[in-house]
Amino acid sequence: MLGETALAWLAGSESHPQTVSRGLHHPPKARRVVQIFLSGAASHVDTFDYKPLLVERRGRKFDPGGKVELFQSQPGVVAPSYWEFRQRGQSGQWVSDLLPHLAGCADEMAVIRSMHSRSNVHGPATFLQNTGFVLPGFPSMGAWVVHGLGRLCDDLPAFVVLPDSRGVPPNGPANWGSGFLPASSQGTAVRVGGDKPIRNLFPESGQFGTTHTDPAAGRLLERWNRRHAQARPADTRLQSRVEAYSLAAKLQLSAPGVLDLNREPESMRRRYGLDRPETADFGARCLAARRLLEKGVRFVQIWSGADNGFPRRNWDSHEDLPKDHAMMAKEMDLPAAALIQDLKERGLLDDTIVLWTTEFGRMPCSQGGRGRDHNPDAFTTWMAGGGVKGGVSYGASDEWGWKAVDKPTTNYDVHATILHLLGIDHRRLTFRVNGVDRRLTDVHGHVIREVLA
Amino acid sequence: MRASLALLGILVAMLACGDALAQGTAQRDSFFETRIRPLLQKQCVPCHGPGGQSAGVRLDRALSPERVKQALAAVDGSGRVAMPPTGGLPEADRTLLVGWLKSGGHFPVPKQVADPTWAFQPLRRASVPAVKGARNAIDAFLLRAMGKQGLVPSRPADKRTLLRRLTFDLTGLPPTPAQVDAFVSDRSPEAYEKVVDRLLQSPAYGERWGRLWLDVARYADTHGYDKDKRRDTAWRYRDWVIRAFNSDLPWNQFVSMQVAGDVLSGGTEDGITATGFLSAGPWDFVGQVELADGTVEKQKTRVLDRDDYVSASIGAFNSITVHCARCHDHKFDPVPQRDYYRLQAVFAGIERGDRLVSEGTGRTTSGSPTNGWHGPISATPDVTQWVQVDLPTEVSAESIVIIPARPTDFTDTPGFGFPVRWKVEVASGPEFADPKAVEDRTGSVASAQGDEAVVVAVNGRRFRSVRITATRLWRRTNDYVFALGELQVFVGGRNVARGASVSSSGSIEQGRWSRQALVDGFDSRGPLGASGYAVIPVPPRPIQVLVRGEVTLPGEAVSAGSLSCVDGLSGDFGLPVDASEGERRAALARWLVDRRNVLTWRSVVNRVWAGHFGIGLVDTPNDFGAQGGRPSHPDLLDWLAAWFRDSGQSLKALHRLIVLTDAYRQSSEPSAASLRADASNRLLSHYPRRRLDAEQIRDAVLLASGTLRNIGGGAGFDLFRYKDDHSPVYDHDAPGVSTSPTTFRRSVYRFVVRSVPNPFLDAFDAPDPNQSVPVRNTTLTALQALTLMNDAFVLDQSSRFAQGVQAATKDVPKQVALVFRRALGRSPNALESEEALGYVKQKGLAALTRLLFNTNEFQFID
Repeated sequence: MLGETALAWLAGSESHPQTVSRGLHHPPKARRVVQIFLSGAASHVDTFDYKPLLVERRGRKFDPGGKVELFQSQPGVVAPSYWEFRQRGQSGQWVSDLLPHLAGCADEMAVIRSMHSRSNVHGPATFLQNTGFVLPGFPSMGAWVVHGLGRLCDDLPAFVVLPDSRGVPPNGPANWGSGFLPASSQGTAVRVGGDKPIRNLFPESGQFGTTHTDPAAGRLLERWNRRHAQARPADTRLQSRVEAYSLAAKLQLSAPGVLDLNREPESMRRRYGLDRPETADFGARCLAARRLLEKGVRFVQIWSGADNGFPRRNWDSHEDLPKDHAMMAKEMDLPAAALIQDLKERGLLDDTIVLWTTEFGRMPCSQGGRGRDHNPDAFTTWMAGGGVKGGVSYGASDEWGWKAVDKPTTNYDVHATILHLLGIDHRRLTFRVNGVDRRLTDVHGHVIREVLA
Repeated sequence: MRASLALLGILVAMLACGDALAQGTAQRDSFFETRIRPLLQKQCVPCHGPGGQSAGVRLDRALSPERVKQALAAVDGSGRVAMPPTGGLPEADRTLLVGWLKSGGHFPVPKQVADPTWAFQPLRRASVPAVKGARNAIDAFLLRAMGKQGLVPSRPADKRTLLRRLTFDLTGLPPTPAQVDAFVSDRSPEAYEKVVDRLLQSPAYGERWGRLWLDVARYADTHGYDKDKRRDTAWRYRDWVIRAFNSDLPWNQFVSMQVAGDVLSGGTEDGITATGFLSAGPWDFVGQVELADGTVEKQKTRVLDRDDYVSASIGAFNSITVHCARCHDHKFDPVPQRDYYRLQAVFAGIERGDRLVSEGTGRTTSGSPTNGWHGPISATPDVTQWVQVDLPTEVSAESIVIIPARPTDFTDTPGFGFPVRWKVEVASGPEFADPKAVEDRTGSVASAQGDEAVVVAVNGRRFRSVRITATRLWRRTNDYVFALGELQVFVGGRNVARGASVSSSGSIEQGRWSRQALVDGFDSRGPLGASGYAVIPVPPRPIQVLVRGEVTLPGEAVSAGSLSCVDGLSGDFGLPVDASEGERRAALARWLVDRRNVLTWRSVVNRVWAGHFGIGLVDTPNDFGAQGGRPSHPDLLDWLAAWFRDSGQSLKALHRLIVLTDAYRQSSEPSAASLRADASNRLLSHYPRRRLDAEQIRDAVLLASGTLRNIGGGAGFDLFRYKDDHSPVYDHDAPGVSTSPTTFRRSVYRFVVRSVPNPFLDAFDAPDPNQSVPVRNTTLTALQALTLMNDAFVLDQSSRFAQGVQAATKDVPKQVALVFRRALGRSPNALESEEALGYVKQKGLAALTRLLFNTNEFQFID
């Protein structure tokens, strides 16, 4: 039943963190991942994919030659970006003025401008980027990585998710679930800045003690559990359960400190934008991400944006893209750039992959005047850090930004590449369920060699 | 040549000794594999194998004695037909084959089991082995397998342990102290059987075993995906499952009802409700409802939706994974792509939705495919919008009826879009040159309309056009809209507006909203009788094999059918391509419960076995294919399958047979020999210790604390705070929810949210309802430790537990003894008593009850 990789699980528990620092199938270039997910679909033609033709044809009929099927509207007129594009850094990568701070990191990024998706519906498409399937019920990339590589530390969860303070994205926690993998590999949602950042870390009722205020509880429980285990010596699970309580105690000791952003100097807090209302939430989560990665968390996922509701609280700008994208970008841009630079200064960027993802792109034509409808056929993803070649452009969409034409790239390719950098052959990280050896990359995926350092 | 003869010598020598010796069997098998099978593969199987079957003969599997005779005659030249027809069989090989056939033409048994197609082959009627000391047939098979490895079973478990095991197993709950006392003190020889019968009669039995089936059925109470909307009537299927288990519905009925109960029963409440199995899975609301019709994306959504019906049915009832054949012939199992699309054709005419299961006020419309008409969204309320219906000719009407909308994405919002200020006017023609108001409510602010229709009596007035004008719109969340479900004009008791032409000052024309939907005869408020989430028949869509699974590459058209790989059972239903919707599902139901469908019978007994022992005879209960496990006891599996099929198909009888075995009643402590020879305990030389599953933990906490409310059935209880929104919010951490006595019901009755798992149950590996879950994971994690020590539910129950016990007795040592008995089913020993008393003095009784929930002893079943 087990694939060759069920390392952490073989012991039946988390108590033997079978840390794989050498990679699973080959030597790794990176050990950690931080993924920034732009929920709701960020427009590529307003961020990283410069299309002069849109300026030239501004306001004319959108006629790229071919049937244009949209999610919920009829194609409007050609709509150039609402922001100016410029070439940035040594590499001269095109980045728009919507993202002035990330533009400063252009030389760190391998930008893939030829992404395309199998779905133009938020739910399935968001699943696809996270789990590799449009259907629910599959493990997320973070869960696969943790399942395959185990933990780097034993006092923090291996996979941490930092959702937007306005709410969870489409599909909710299923985006970071473990699917059919053991529950121990699922993402732990952490509410940075909340009074209870991790669920059930401490008892809420003052009537009941914690490890510290009621040490007798832990001692008595351990005595009884050990006695029970000793009478049943053949069953290692019973001993594992005793150890799970020690792990929990360690987590109680370390998590509050790691998540206490007041331990950072004021200059650092400012750098991440904690002093400004628009960047405070995303900035706090980026800063927390850095602290978690530093302490040995394997995979951190940071969400920019919640669900697709109103008033807009994610990147799904059907109605007023200049307003709504500006708001989302303002929140995300400075802290994300600060995260990259901070990781770099600390030497962590060498073995930490930064992945910037969204579920699909937006149309080069207008929707209802100032909005843009969904475009599954072209969008942009970029990565930076551990093992990634900086300042590289890979693939291209057509002259409209309508369809990926040069080196069309899928979520499978991106996932294969991330796993490759972590020392995993994506074809060999499998788990058999209902008759199929399931993979993050299904039956697809090619490592994108051109973006490897 | 010499070597072959030597082996033949061994073979012949073995014949003299009979065939029971394990040693001899092994040599014979080895001889077969090295010498005979390669010969058969090369010379015979090309024509007499899975690809050919010339003359109905196959030489790639066990032969009947009759076939052996025929084959011998063909090979040794004594018969009418000489084989192989090419005549090119070397003499040495011919000698080998003849010798083998003369000795009986045996195929090795173990190899046959290892055959990846074992599950499709007929049930082997192995006789029950004569084993000394076997209590029943199951024990005989198990003891024989143990004996081959030199193992013996463990001693019997003590009575307290056995009762706790049995009670959790059959009901999902622990025994009460009184039940423990009664059983321990009952010295009669039938004491155990009496308890078994009592538990099988308990309603809690269906709640436990129904829950396990709901895992397989991927049951939840919401759609899943983005916009994870509620399915407020899905619980009827859940209740049907529990009732079916409790009433011991024979398995063939249990299966066929879930696939085609509505058709086969002629539309009874139970029949329609049971099809909730098909509709139980996730459903992409946005893709199904909001995505424009006629697009490639829409077609993809529909293919995946049908895939869910196909995979769920064949996976649950036949333990075969057919979804692999959506894009290509199955790589591992004999499922060609065509079989897969024949199954899609079975489900080509169903959709999911609320369906009337019993008549309420006599109306029978169900599941409206449209919402109605919806004007442009406005940022401000006080704008004028109108919609107008033009009849084909002028009429003299009795009344105009305006029905409010209740759209599919706001089903909990009756009166959606019904304006606050409005009027109804009529005119003689579409130009509306001579408007006459017949109802004017522009001067007052109406209260919420709700579901109630507005009936404007016009008393024979003549007109051709009707216009509804809103002057103040209905408030949505942050904007304003005007929408209506249906408009009717009655003449002589007949609605003449159906299909009339509709114009308006604007219209969003999206998804289920359109001008024409205002007069299409569908009332989106839904039926007024009792409804359940079930399948809704629609005209079947044509089904074609999709090349590589791509909707843009349709191939051959197929009619409804099923798998062609079940030995002796055709997958061809003999239905035309345009067969009616009901015929298709009825045919599949009959095919599934055909006594020749060996998959069905092997599947069910294996699932029940896995429920009792934690691991099936086949350890992959959803997959009997090449990628799945092989049976640990193939003879036993087939014996059980045949016994079950042929003796009433009673699950309760099967449970009884299993729990009455010595194997079930033995201790969970393994012997040293067992750990050495059978570390995974597949031979069951001791009972497999198990951690309680998620629902068992929650329910046992409630029962021990004395707070469990035994309210069976009905709408699920919300174990979260709900807020409707674009994507509804299910907040499981809202204060006061898990500690509210309204939620102190058995976990099987909770409202299961697909997108947001309940974090308490999720921590203990509750199943993900997005996929069929045959066996749950069992993890031991730090998160579980934190949950049991700190979760508001556990702490609240610990307090209630302590308060209840303190109310019963003031004596602290007695309190301690009582909490032990209620939590663990036993009294504390002297040492534990002393330790517990010391702790209670320091921290109070509630601190002790919390601790007991955290013990290994509470969490595990010995």
